[in-house]
Amino acid sequence: MAGKVCLQPCLGLRKEAVLGRQALYVVHEDLRPDTTVLGCGPALNANTQEDVDFINMYPVVAVEACELDCATRLVGKKGKKAAVTVRISDLVTSLAIDLAALPDHEIDTEDAAVQAVAKQIAEQVDALLA
Amino acid sequence: MQEQDFKVAVLPCNGIGRLVSTVVRLAGYRIKEMRPDQVVLLSSGRLAVNDAEDRAIFDKYPVLVIDGCRPHCASFMCDELGKTPAARLYVADVAAEGKISIAGEKRRGLTEKGQRLVDALASKAVEEIDRIIADEMLSTL
Repeated sequence: MAGKVCLQPCLGLRKEAVLGRQALYVVHEDLRPDTTVLGCGPALNANTQEDVDFINMYPVVAVEACELDCATRLVGKKGKKAAVTVRISDLVTSLAIDLAALPDHEIDTEDAAVQAVAKQIAEQVDALLA
Repeated sequence: MQEQDFKVAVLPCNGIGRLVSTVVRLAGYRIKEMRPDQVVLLSSGRLAVNDAEDRAIFDKYPVLVIDGCRPHCASFMCDELGKTPAARLYVADVAAEGKISIAGEKRRGLTEKGQRLVDALASKAVEEIDRIIADEMLSTL
Protein backbone atom coordinates (compact mmCIF):
# COMPACT_ATOMS: atom_id res chain seq x y z
CA MET A 1 0.00 0.00 0.00
CA ALA A 2 1.26 3.45 -0.91
CA GLY A 3 0.68 5.00 2.52
CA LYS A 4 0.43 8.49 1.09
CA VAL A 5 -1.38 10.31 -1.67
CA CYS A 6 0.04 12.98 -3.96
CA LEU A 7 -2.18 16.03 -4.25
CA GLN A 8 -1.61 17.61 -7.65
CA PRO A 9 -3.46 20.87 -8.33
CA CYS A 10 -3.79 22.51 -11.73
CA LEU A 11 -2.35 25.83 -10.42
CA GLY A 12 -4.24 27.93 -12.91
CA LEU A 13 -5.21 31.57 -12.46
CA ARG A 14 -8.98 31.48 -12.13
CA LYS A 15 -10.93 31.62 -8.88
CA GLU A 16 -11.62 27.89 -8.84
CA ALA A 17 -7.86 27.30 -9.00
CA VAL A 18 -7.29 29.59 -6.02
CA LEU A 19 -10.03 27.79 -4.09
CA GLY A 20 -8.49 24.42 -4.92
CA ARG A 21 -4.99 25.57 -4.03
CA GLN A 22 -6.07 26.92 -0.65
CA ALA A 23 -8.05 23.77 0.07
CA LEU A 24 -4.97 21.67 -0.63
CA TYR A 25 -2.94 23.63 1.90
CA VAL A 26 -5.64 22.78 4.43
CA VAL A 27 -5.66 19.10 3.47
CA HIS A 28 -1.89 18.79 3.47
CA GLU A 29 -1.06 20.93 6.51
CA ASP A 30 -4.10 20.48 8.75
CA LEU A 31 -6.30 17.52 7.86
CA ARG A 32 -4.00 14.82 6.46
CA PRO A 33 -0.39 15.91 7.06
CA ASP A 34 0.86 12.35 7.47
CA THR A 35 -0.83 10.84 4.45
CA THR A 36 -0.41 13.48 1.75
CA VAL A 37 2.33 15.14 -0.24
CA LEU A 38 1.79 18.32 -2.18
CA GLY A 39 2.86 18.12 -5.81
CA CYS A 40 3.91 21.25 -7.65
CA GLY A 41 2.92 21.32 -11.32
CA PRO A 42 5.68 23.53 -12.72
CA ALA A 43 8.25 21.62 -10.70
CA LEU A 44 6.92 18.32 -12.03
CA ASN A 45 7.02 19.71 -15.53
CA ALA A 46 10.64 20.72 -14.96
CA ASN A 47 11.43 17.18 -13.79
CA THR A 48 12.31 18.27 -10.26
CA GLN A 49 13.20 14.97 -8.63
CA GLU A 50 11.00 15.34 -5.57
CA ASP A 51 7.91 15.98 -7.65
CA VAL A 52 8.70 13.19 -10.10
CA ASP A 53 9.12 10.86 -7.14
CA PHE A 54 5.76 11.91 -5.73
CA ILE A 55 3.81 10.78 -8.79
CA ASN A 56 5.86 7.62 -9.14
CA MET A 57 5.54 6.57 -5.52
CA TYR A 58 2.01 7.59 -4.63
CA PRO A 59 -1.47 7.55 -6.17
CA VAL A 60 -2.34 11.01 -7.49
CA VAL A 61 -5.42 13.08 -6.77
CA ALA A 62 -5.49 15.70 -9.50
CA VAL A 63 -7.44 18.80 -8.53
CA GLU A 64 -8.75 20.74 -11.51
CA ALA A 65 -10.13 24.25 -11.80
CA CYS A 66 -11.64 23.85 -15.24
CA GLU A 67 -12.48 21.40 -17.98
CA LEU A 68 -8.97 21.52 -19.44
CA ASP A 69 -7.80 19.09 -16.75
CA CYS A 70 -4.23 20.40 -16.89
CA ALA A 71 -3.05 18.62 -13.74
CA THR A 72 -4.37 15.27 -14.95
CA ARG A 73 -2.78 15.84 -18.33
CA LEU A 74 0.54 16.90 -16.81
CA VAL A 75 0.68 13.69 -14.80
CA GLY A 76 -0.06 11.86 -18.05
CA LYS A 77 2.72 13.78 -19.80
CA LYS A 78 5.10 12.38 -17.20
CA GLY A 79 3.95 8.84 -17.91
CA LYS A 80 1.56 8.24 -15.01
CA LYS A 81 -2.20 8.24 -14.63
CA ALA A 82 -4.02 10.19 -11.94
CA ALA A 83 -5.97 7.84 -9.67
CA VAL A 84 -8.70 10.41 -9.15
CA THR A 85 -9.54 13.70 -10.81
CA VAL A 86 -11.45 16.13 -8.62
CA ARG A 87 -13.07 19.09 -10.34
CA ILE A 88 -13.53 22.13 -8.17
CA SER A 89 -16.46 23.24 -10.33
CA ASP A 90 -18.27 20.00 -9.39
CA LEU A 91 -17.60 20.59 -5.70
CA VAL A 92 -18.77 24.19 -6.01
CA THR A 93 -22.07 22.85 -7.30
CA SER A 94 -22.48 19.95 -4.89
CA LEU A 95 -21.49 22.03 -1.86
CA ALA A 96 -23.59 25.00 -3.01
CA ILE A 97 -20.63 27.35 -2.77
CA ASP A 98 -21.28 30.93 -3.85
CA LEU A 99 -18.19 31.36 -6.00
CA ALA A 100 -19.04 34.95 -6.85
CA ALA A 101 -18.90 35.88 -3.19
CA LEU A 102 -15.31 34.69 -2.83
CA PRO A 103 -12.39 37.07 -3.42
CA ASP A 104 -10.63 36.63 -6.75
CA HIS A 105 -7.01 36.11 -5.74
CA GLU A 106 -6.68 35.59 -2.02
CA ILE A 107 -9.10 33.31 -0.23
CA ASP A 108 -8.55 32.77 3.47
CA THR A 109 -7.95 29.13 4.33
CA GLU A 110 -10.43 29.54 7.20
CA ASP A 111 -13.17 30.43 4.73
CA ALA A 112 -16.06 27.97 4.93
CA ALA A 113 -15.82 27.23 1.21
CA VAL A 114 -12.13 26.32 1.47
CA GLN A 115 -12.77 24.14 4.51
CA ALA A 116 -15.67 22.36 2.81
CA VAL A 117 -13.67 21.65 -0.36
CA ALA A 118 -10.72 20.49 1.75
CA LYS A 119 -12.93 18.06 3.63
CA GLN A 120 -14.17 16.55 0.38
CA ILE A 121 -10.62 16.12 -0.94
CA ALA A 122 -9.51 14.59 2.36
CA GLU A 123 -12.27 12.02 1.93
CA GLN A 124 -10.85 11.15 -1.49
CA VAL A 125 -7.45 10.68 0.14
CA ASP A 126 -8.92 8.38 2.75
CA ALA A 127 -10.78 6.37 0.11
CA LEU A 128 -7.59 5.84 -1.87
CA LEU A 129 -5.73 4.64 1.19
CA ALA A 130 -8.50 2.41 2.51
CA MET B 1 -2.39 54.79 -38.67
CA GLN B 2 -2.16 51.09 -37.93
CA GLU B 3 -2.92 50.18 -34.33
CA GLN B 4 -0.02 48.31 -32.76
CA ASP B 5 -0.57 45.57 -30.21
CA PHE B 6 2.22 46.08 -27.72
CA LYS B 7 1.83 43.67 -24.84
CA VAL B 8 3.99 41.46 -22.67
CA ALA B 9 3.06 37.92 -21.69
CA VAL B 10 3.94 37.36 -18.05
CA LEU B 11 4.69 33.80 -17.00
CA PRO B 12 4.80 33.44 -13.21
CA CYS B 13 5.79 29.94 -12.11
CA ASN B 14 2.63 29.80 -9.95
CA GLY B 15 3.96 26.89 -7.95
CA ILE B 16 2.50 25.74 -4.65
CA GLY B 17 5.22 24.11 -2.61
CA ARG B 18 7.12 27.03 -1.23
CA LEU B 19 6.45 30.35 0.40
CA VAL B 20 7.89 32.13 -2.63
CA SER B 21 5.27 30.36 -4.78
CA THR B 22 2.63 32.46 -3.07
CA VAL B 23 4.71 35.59 -3.55
CA VAL B 24 5.01 34.90 -7.29
CA ARG B 25 1.35 34.06 -7.70
CA LEU B 26 0.15 37.24 -5.99
CA ALA B 27 2.72 39.34 -7.83
CA GLY B 28 1.29 38.07 -11.12
CA TYR B 29 -2.14 39.42 -10.25
CA ARG B 30 -0.61 42.68 -8.98
CA ILE B 31 1.33 43.14 -12.23
CA LYS B 32 -1.88 42.70 -14.22
CA GLU B 33 -3.57 45.31 -12.02
CA MET B 34 -0.69 47.74 -12.54
CA ARG B 35 -0.54 47.35 -16.33
CA PRO B 36 -3.98 46.00 -17.30
CA ASP B 37 -3.70 46.93 -20.96
CA GLN B 38 -0.12 45.85 -21.48
CA VAL B 39 -0.01 42.52 -19.67
CA VAL B 40 -1.40 39.11 -20.51
CA LEU B 41 -0.99 36.64 -17.65
CA LEU B 42 -0.04 33.13 -18.68
CA SER B 43 -1.04 30.05 -16.74
CA SER B 44 1.90 27.74 -16.09
CA GLY B 45 -0.60 24.89 -15.67
CA ARG B 46 -2.00 25.42 -19.14
CA LEU B 47 1.37 26.00 -20.78
CA ALA B 48 2.77 22.84 -19.23
CA VAL B 49 0.28 20.86 -21.30
CA ASN B 50 0.63 23.14 -24.32
CA ASP B 51 -2.92 24.51 -24.18
CA ALA B 52 -3.62 26.18 -27.52
CA GLU B 53 -4.94 29.47 -26.14
CA ASP B 54 -2.04 30.13 -23.78
CA ARG B 55 0.44 28.83 -26.32
CA ALA B 56 -0.79 31.34 -28.89
CA ILE B 57 -0.29 34.21 -26.40
CA PHE B 58 3.11 32.83 -25.45
CA ASP B 59 4.14 32.72 -29.10
CA LYS B 60 2.72 36.13 -29.97
CA TYR B 61 4.18 38.40 -27.30
CA PRO B 62 7.55 38.90 -25.64
CA VAL B 63 7.63 36.91 -22.41
CA LEU B 64 8.62 37.98 -18.92
CA VAL B 65 9.38 34.96 -16.78
CA ILE B 66 9.12 35.00 -13.00
CA ASP B 67 10.78 32.14 -11.13
CA GLY B 68 10.05 31.57 -7.48
CA CYS B 69 12.59 29.01 -6.42
CA ARG B 70 15.78 27.32 -7.45
CA PRO B 71 14.58 24.87 -10.12
CA HIS B 72 13.55 27.96 -12.16
CA CYS B 73 10.48 26.12 -13.43
CA ALA B 74 9.01 29.01 -15.42
CA SER B 75 12.33 29.44 -17.22
CA PHE B 76 12.37 25.69 -17.88
CA MET B 77 8.91 25.94 -19.41
CA CYS B 78 10.02 28.77 -21.67
CA ASP B 79 13.05 26.79 -22.80
CA GLU B 80 10.92 23.68 -23.30
CA LEU B 81 8.61 25.62 -25.59
CA GLY B 82 11.53 27.02 -27.54
CA LYS B 83 11.43 30.69 -26.65
CA THR B 84 14.01 32.99 -25.13
CA PRO B 85 12.34 35.24 -22.57
CA ALA B 86 12.59 38.99 -23.05
CA ALA B 87 13.34 39.21 -19.33
CA ARG B 88 13.58 36.96 -16.29
CA LEU B 89 13.02 37.77 -12.64
CA TYR B 90 14.01 35.58 -9.73
CA VAL B 91 12.39 36.24 -6.38
CA ALA B 92 15.58 35.78 -4.38
CA ASP B 93 17.28 38.54 -6.41
CA VAL B 94 14.45 40.95 -5.69
CA ALA B 95 14.42 40.02 -2.00
CA ALA B 96 18.17 40.55 -1.78
CA GLU B 97 18.10 43.83 -3.65
CA GLY B 98 15.37 45.22 -1.43
CA LYS B 99 16.71 43.52 1.70
CA ILE B 100 13.24 42.07 2.26
CA SER B 101 12.86 39.10 4.58
CA ILE B 102 9.75 36.96 4.53
CA ALA B 103 10.85 34.64 7.32
CA GLY B 104 7.91 33.56 9.43
CA GLU B 105 5.36 34.09 6.65
CA LYS B 106 3.06 31.26 5.57
CA ARG B 107 2.47 30.06 2.02
CA ARG B 108 -1.29 29.80 2.57
CA GLY B 109 -1.57 33.55 3.10
CA LEU B 110 0.80 36.47 3.45
CA THR B 111 0.78 39.25 6.00
CA GLU B 112 1.93 42.81 5.31
CA LYS B 113 5.51 41.57 5.60
CA GLY B 114 5.12 39.14 2.72
CA GLN B 115 3.14 41.66 0.71
CA ARG B 116 6.22 43.92 0.71
CA LEU B 117 8.03 41.35 -1.39
CA VAL B 118 4.98 40.97 -3.64
CA ASP B 119 4.99 44.74 -4.18
CA ALA B 120 8.73 44.84 -4.82
CA LEU B 121 8.51 41.96 -7.29
CA ALA B 122 5.56 43.52 -9.09
CA SER B 123 7.33 46.88 -9.31
CA LYS B 124 10.42 45.27 -10.71
CA ALA B 125 8.31 43.37 -13.23
CA VAL B 126 6.54 46.53 -14.33
CA GLU B 127 9.90 48.22 -14.91
CA GLU B 128 10.83 45.33 -17.17
CA ILE B 129 7.46 45.40 -18.94
CA ASP B 130 7.76 49.12 -19.66
CA ARG B 131 11.28 48.58 -20.99
CA ILE B 132 10.23 45.65 -23.18
CA ILE B 133 7.30 47.59 -24.64
CA ALA B 134 9.46 50.68 -25.24
CA ASP B 135 11.97 48.46 -26.99
CA GLU B 136 9.24 46.90 -29.15
CA MET B 137 7.76 50.29 -30.02
CA LEU B 138 11.09 51.85 -30.90
CA SER B 139 12.00 48.88 -33.05
CA THR B 140 9.03 49.66 -35.30
CA LEU B 141 10.07 53.27 -36.00
